[in-house]
Amino acid sequence: MVLQTALLIGLVIFSVLAILLKDLLKSAISLAAASLLLGIIFFRMNAPYAGVFEISVVAGLITVLFILTIALTGGGHDVRESKLVNWVFPLVFVAFIVIDALVMKSLLGKVPALPSGTEAGVFGDVLWKGRTLDLVGQIAVILAGVFAVLALFRKRDKHD
Amino acid sequence: MIILFVVLPLIVAGLLPLVGKVSRRVLPDLLANATLLFLLVYAVVAGRALIAGGPVLQQTAWLGEAVNLRLALDGFSLLMLVAVSLVGLAASLFSIDYMEHYGAKANYYALYLVMVAGMNGLVLATDLFSVYVFLEVAAVASYALVAYGLGPDELEAAFKYLMLSVVASAFLLAAIAVVFGMTGSLEFAAVAAALKELNAGAVLAIASACFLLGFGLKAALVPFHAWLPDAHPSAPAPISAVLSGLLIKVSGVYAMARIFLNVFGLTPALSTALMVLGAVSMVVAAFLALGQRDMKRMLAYSSISQVGLVVLGIGIGTPLGIAGGLFHLFNHALAKGLLFLTSGSVQQATGTRDLDAMGGLAKRMPVTAAASLIGSLSIAGVPPLNGFWSKLIIIVALVQAGHPVFAVVAVLASVLTLWYYLLIQRKAFFGKLDEKWAAVKEAPFWMTVATVLLALLCVGIGILFSSTVTNWIQPAADVLADGVQAVTGSWGF
Repeated sequence: MVLQTALLIGLVIFSVLAILLKDLLKSAISLAAASLLLGIIFFRMNAPYAGVFEISVVAGLITVLFILTIALTGGGHDVRESKLVNWVFPLVFVAFIVIDALVMKSLLGKVPALPSGTEAGVFGDVLWKGRTLDLVGQIAVILAGVFAVLALFRKRDKHD
Repeated sequence: MIILFVVLPLIVAGLLPLVGKVSRRVLPDLLANATLLFLLVYAVVAGRALIAGGPVLQQTAWLGEAVNLRLALDGFSLLMLVAVSLVGLAASLFSIDYMEHYGAKANYYALYLVMVAGMNGLVLATDLFSVYVFLEVAAVASYALVAYGLGPDELEAAFKYLMLSVVASAFLLAAIAVVFGMTGSLEFAAVAAALKELNAGAVLAIASACFLLGFGLKAALVPFHAWLPDAHPSAPAPISAVLSGLLIKVSGVYAMARIFLNVFGLTPALSTALMVLGAVSMVVAAFLALGQRDMKRMLAYSSISQVGLVVLGIGIGTPLGIAGGLFHLFNHALAKGLLFLTSGSVQQATGTRDLDAMGGLAKRMPVTAAASLIGSLSIAGVPPLNGFWSKLIIIVALVQAGHPVFAVVAVLASVLTLWYYLLIQRKAFFGKLDEKWAAVKEAPFWMTVATVLLALLCVGIGILFSSTVTNWIQPAADVLADGVQAVTGSWGF
């Protein structure tokens, strides 16, 4: 329980740092640390596949892409933002924590739950046999992403 | 083979960039339009026969083994499929000439078809998570399409749209997680059945609130509308037509109505929340529209206002109210698609969207002006056009259900709507022709074909409204009016 709480608090702190830090590189690393902690939480909650994907893809691959992009664009500089933005996020965050604490405290005992069993099973079975339509959707999202990159980074015709 | 609605546009989208290497214009034009025409014909001709004996459920086999590709087609999803194919085809025909100067047409059509596949998938999905996945498919494609012109305005609008959509997605995911935690399932039928057994008022209220925020953002209801007046005007005209005509309705109104009415069951509190949100959107956005000088921005605010009316109609929860809401959804898809397309023709001919700079264009662009007039009068609710009948049904339903105040608000909002549409007509098309527009010509062939097609439909449905309601709207309204029984009774696999 203590470890779990520590992991959750760490997750929130690194997530907030990822938003608040002005240095893009530090921000990207905070995000990686947050998803690493999330991956460990997934493992501890008996979701090893989610944990593996979270750590390898989100904490690993995506962080590499972010850092590459920051390096290639000569980033690492501070991002200039208006003063209002500096205040909005902390205020919303504190308000969210307060509402969350109030709501969750009163809800914790009241959440009724049916045993989940129908959709559990071996990972491969669930993915291929249980969620096949989502795989079609996944292919569509990847297609959309590829076409979006092709479209947004295209060479413009001379009459554009 | 209802899976064709999802898979066919995806396959063609995958082929288009390759086809684009062989032929930069003709083949992509032909392939994309033929695909959408096929889907339209399939939906219109085969659709009603398919669902004649109740909802069609499809579970596909892959290499002889059953896989869980579950899709369901009923009256409500069929109406949405027809709307998507119809407005999608019109906007795609319009793109043949309009997108000529943007370049990379094959890529444009590929993104366009992925967006259509996303909308079709969402409409046919039978579980909450698939709804989320296909919502994202349509959304990711639409971000790129909004930014397609690559100008600073387009990129800024697309970024704003992306950011607010991500907030919407977060709320939707949170709601889905809460429902899954409670019921142990994501299937509409299983969730609906489980919720009946559980006494989960407080938790369900939180899930409903998250869904309302998420879908409210997607449907751009006031006060969640900030992204729409930037995103829709900045996109190329055919994309504006699809976003305003279809996407906000499929990913906002359809998903919200399906989940609230068929899965959760409409409670009095939820009904009141929907009606209040709808009425506020209708009135606030109508006032905001009045103050606009940018033609497409005015149309965008009008979309928020009209979606408000649709949500108000569906929120009543009575069979007549739902039928009116769905009929207005369909009519608004046609008329707003038409108006955005005509605004594209005007922008291409004059190079401006500023209403104050236009004037007298009807003399140079008579067909576009006539089509725009039909669209305007239809949305404003002038008889005998289609928009009149749907507004009339909603107002009658409001009075019947004992909500005279909402009925009066709806009538007053319609008057405001007529006011700003007459402003568009007067400033853009009527009056004295400015000398600088002396060389303006009528829109090219395919752009005119697309607008005339939608204008004829607005008139035709207005005249044949009775058979349209009986054949297309009523089966859809019946599904929603049946409430939870619609999915628990016949959607078991």
